[in-house]
Amino acid sequence: MKYSSYVRMTPSRVVLNEKMLTFEDSGKNLLLEIYRKAVGDWPKFFKMDPLSKVGFVSTELLLSTESPRVKDCEDRAVILFNRSGSLADDRIYEGTIRSREEFYPSPAVFVYTLPNILTGEIAIRNKYYGETSFSVLEKFDASVMLRTLEAAFVDPMTRSAVFGWVECGSEEEFDVCLFLVHREGEGMKELDEKEFERIWKI
Amino acid sequence: MEDLKQELKEKIIAALKLADMTPSDIDNEAPLFGDGLGLDSIDALELMLLLEKNYGIRLQNPAEGKKVFVNIDTMAAYVAENRTR
Repeated sequence: MKYSSYVRMTPSRVVLNEKMLTFEDSGKNLLLEIYRKAVGDWPKFFKMDPLSKVGFVSTELLLSTESPRVKDCEDRAVILFNRSGSLADDRIYEGTIRSREEFYPSPAVFVYTLPNILTGEIAIRNKYYGETSFSVLEKFDASVMLRTLEAAFVDPMTRSAVFGWVECGSEEEFDVCLFLVHREGEGMKELDEKEFERIWKI
Repeated sequence: MEDLKQELKEKIIAALKLADMTPSDIDNEAPLFGDGLGLDSIDALELMLLLEKNYGIRLQNPAEGKKVFVNIDTMAAYVAENRTR
């Protein structure tokens, strides 16, 4: 498997293809800053849960490296993983139903109580019609993730994928390691377990 | 009534997370759905929740919302008439 770009993002640091990006804010405000500076035309961002916000802005950075930015992809999959699922939003939703006196379950919060909503957000934004999946693992495991990716590429239709790890405990705690991978690509780097772990450690 | 309309706009902006929008951006007669604020079905459910939480109004039939949530004017009139708090 080859990759053309990667993004590594934590609450205080963003690295895009070996280059450290400079932002003024961190945590929740970093997400907003990235949205304002690098996106700006997708107001649904403000309605997203923490996991979707994290996955959305990091994917936007990752895809900003494509020129021209690809649209209407029948052959691009979105294959994501993390450890906490949608726990960040689950907690927010639980807050809307915790008290008998203040029992107001929010539909807008409830709709994000599944991690695979993020794959849908990415697919809708970019008009990707390929396979999407979100798997919850016990821990970061490059080997398992790459095997899952290879399985997605068994489908001859799939030629590229947004792939990787999007962990989010809250808007202040997240850890992202995403790649734009391709079945084949001249001059692109090979994404094997060793390379995945090298970038994970950046 | 004008105070209620202003209050509704503020609550709608907060509840529906309409960032970058201020009450003055919302026209009293502009449709909330469709071409107006571009709200969706989940937003409609949030508006129902807003009425219940803030004014003690429980819409029994979601179809009722169609008449209530036409614009700020219709919403304010309904709240003024039916509020229990």
